[in-house]
Amino acid sequence: MKDTQELLFEALRIRLVEEKIIDLYPSDQIQSPVHLSIGQEAVAVGICANLAVTDWVFINYRGHAFYLAKGGPLPQFFAELMGRVGGLSKGKAGSMHLAAPAQGVIGASAVVASTISHAVGAALASKIKGEKNRIFIANFGDGAMEQGVFFESLNFASLYKLPVLFLCEDNGLAVHTHLKDRQSFNIQQLVNSFGIKFQQILEGYDPTIVMNESKAVIDFVKKNQTPAFLRVKTMRYKEHVGPGEDLHVGYRSEIEMDNWKLKDPLISNQALDEMAAKIRLEIEAALSFAYNSPFPTKADLLTDVY
Amino acid sequence: MSTNTYRKALESAMHEAMNYHGNTVIIGQGVTDFKGLFGTTSGLAEKFPNRLIETPLAEDSIAGICIGMALNGMYPINTHIRADFGLLIFNQLINLAAKYKYMFGGLFEIPMMMRMIIGRSWGQGAQHSQSLQSLIAHIPGLVVVMPASPQSIKESYSYAIEKYRGPVVFLEHRLMYELSFEDNQTKMENPLFGSKLERLGSDITVVATSVMVIEVKRAAEYLARNGISVEIIDLHSISHPDKDMIIESVEKTGRLLVADTSWAQFGVASEINRIINEHDPSILKSPSRSLGMQPAPCPTAKTLEDLYYPDVYDIVVELISIVGKSHTDYNNVPNKESMTDYYKHFKGPF
Repeated sequence: MKDTQELLFEALRIRLVEEKIIDLYPSDQIQSPVHLSIGQEAVAVGICANLAVTDWVFINYRGHAFYLAKGGPLPQFFAELMGRVGGLSKGKAGSMHLAAPAQGVIGASAVVASTISHAVGAALASKIKGEKNRIFIANFGDGAMEQGVFFESLNFASLYKLPVLFLCEDNGLAVHTHLKDRQSFNIQQLVNSFGIKFQQILEGYDPTIVMNESKAVIDFVKKNQTPAFLRVKTMRYKEHVGPGEDLHVGYRSEIEMDNWKLKDPLISNQALDEMAAKIRLEIEAALSFAYNSPFPTKADLLTDVY
Repeated sequence: MSTNTYRKALESAMHEAMNYHGNTVIIGQGVTDFKGLFGTTSGLAEKFPNRLIETPLAEDSIAGICIGMALNGMYPINTHIRADFGLLIFNQLINLAAKYKYMFGGLFEIPMMMRMIIGRSWGQGAQHSQSLQSLIAHIPGLVVVMPASPQSIKESYSYAIEKYRGPVVFLEHRLMYELSFEDNQTKMENPLFGSKLERLGSDITVVATSVMVIEVKRAAEYLARNGISVEIIDLHSISHPDKDMIIESVEKTGRLLVADTSWAQFGVASEINRIINEHDPSILKSPSRSLGMQPAPCPTAKTLEDLYYPDVYDIVVELISIVGKSHTDYNNVPNKESMTDYYKHFKGPF
């Protein structure tokens, strides 16, 4: 198990990386829509602390935090966002399609809910192959739970008893629409009706709590080779897409966010200053790698189609 | 020379895949039931209970599950007893499977097969009869093949499973399932990419797909007895036809008919004409023509259905007209006949 200092370091690293993206964004060095994870870092860090490299995460367009928490390399991350060949996907993926297969990050889709069934399929393959100790994480937001494929995936994973953790990062918003305006069902009852174990963590701001409380459910899935559902409450600090804030528009509760931020261990924590200095050096080195990486050319345009 | 049916070739392809490739999984509605997808998967579930996966009625997630399996080392064969149900997987097929290799810069490959069966005649109606080849072939990253013979099935299915590392859609035609074919020894170098020269001729080129290859061959035999020589190209790979073969043939004959199982507009006919026009339109001695389904959803009533699809009579009339003559000058022109009358084995209901 990682200690709190390590977990805070990882969460802070993701936040500072994304704050660097915000700094760079006006320069147009990154011409790719960014869906920032700021506010949600603790979920990825806490969950990934319980995962082995052979455990796979299937992520989505808001994927910076999981890519980095699972061990995706930072220099290649910046190169990918900048559309340079040094990115792991040679600049063809950008921010919305991050992947790092060597670290078990199996690709992000920008179509909501569309990788949930991939996790189920990878788990089915694992079962057919007779593997016993892997887990496949389907990571999605609360909006994805309204898609038909979510229901289909719960049904299939339960029917075939597959080692899938359905991991909902619940920030309460689908773009700008609140959960209460979108969902007529009770998620716990729904999940239970498929015979799937349901657990939730309300303190999604704290990576140590997320790690400790998710350990049991991850162990449960691995040990029993059967699915489970974990909802982690979290808070998206920024706008849906882009580097800005959107509290001023008035559709979100300022009080709710202020209360959440009071509990956020990455805010106003002077003990983290030393960590921050170290992380900033790493970021500068990663940026230097990215800036030195060439842009793809016409020779790359039609490679890897078939 | 031996004979084989289209269905038997499919059955063999599925058995070989399961027997010789331990990572193959056949997954779809009905693959383990007593009918076994018209017998093409029968007997496999007993032998390979872990790799024959019966599914809920949930095409969207099943397609995604296939992608997930492919990412984790399996070769999924996903079946759709009617191609129309395949429309439910278009998000996974187009947004994900087709793009995963390119979008991730080569980090992933999605080797998998989609078998979709086209229905026709005996009242299949608007939603059990569609030929979706041009919709799918439009998408870069997807390979679309319409096998028109057991030989085509034999070579292209095994090639897809053994040698190709991406998603392939096979559109099979229900009307051909019980037809016997003589073995054709012509082998393709890469049976997922390219077309087949099915018959040599000198007066007109017909580019045909799927069951239309058989219909055009019947028309060509009649015309050969009446002094018109038809060259037939079985397009085979819809996404990657042999352009040189088509151009060379039209350069020789100067005339072109495209006979497709689907609608002409924005379809195979449009694409073949693009190939000729972008090469040199002056190689055509007369305007090209096309035959396909009427521009409407498919009607169920037999009288309308018979008018809806082109048959051997329509093809003969069209071909005589293209060479500048009138079918009224010919004796014993084949009658307009219902497809079900010719394919007597197919009496429905499915």
